[in-house]
Amino acid sequence: MTDIAALLGLLSSAGVEFILVGGAAATAHGSARLTQDVDIVYARSAENIQRIVRALSRASPYLRGAPPGLPFRWDSRTLERGLNFTLTTSLGDLDLLGGITGGGSYADLLPHTLRLHVFGVECPCLDLETLIRVKRAAGRPRDLEAVAELEAILELRRKQR
Amino acid sequence: MGATMEHRDAEISPDPVIEAYKKDLDLSLLIENQKLTVEQRFLKLMQMQRLAAELRRAGQSARGES
Repeated sequence: MTDIAALLGLLSSAGVEFILVGGAAATAHGSARLTQDVDIVYARSAENIQRIVRALSRASPYLRGAPPGLPFRWDSRTLERGLNFTLTTSLGDLDLLGGITGGGSYADLLPHTLRLHVFGVECPCLDLETLIRVKRAAGRPRDLEAVAELEAILELRRKQR
Repeated sequence: MGATMEHRDAEISPDPVIEAYKKDLDLSLLIENQKLTVEQRFLKLMQMQRLAAELRRAGQSARGES
């Protein structure tokens, strides 16, 4: 299980600049689909990378699916050299994304977020319309049903108004 | 459960493939979820994850896998 409350708390309390995207963002909007991980887009500044490293070092991050014993070092240099990291942590699976198809970087996405007040923290979450757009842009067959569901949620909200 | 969320929607052009997928959606689940706070939705997701993990474990056990 991914402890969403603990992960969001860890990142927020460390002042990490991030945006909730992907399946967890879909859940926030009312999706009924099961997702196993938390996806975030993070700001690529040196300061923010240091915050992420400090925050997650307590959660034993490691490359998900990689064999044990790899010389994986959880430090700023590793994050600066890469962009996207699919991690397993003691709090559950976490995907750190430097950017997403159809949406761009943290700075590009930030104007398309809303503030979630959840589990005692505040964190930006991709708004429903943008989440639909980026999932459409990704063009992955496995996302088609997810997009259909998100669009149905959008339609339900419009009918409720 | 003090989770709040504001909604900002705009037009999204229909896609025939996605429209076809919509026909099989269980709207009752979505309608019920709309009644929950964001925090309640996350708690529900974590319950589903726990259930899925337990079912996987039970399936492996039934097949004699470790």
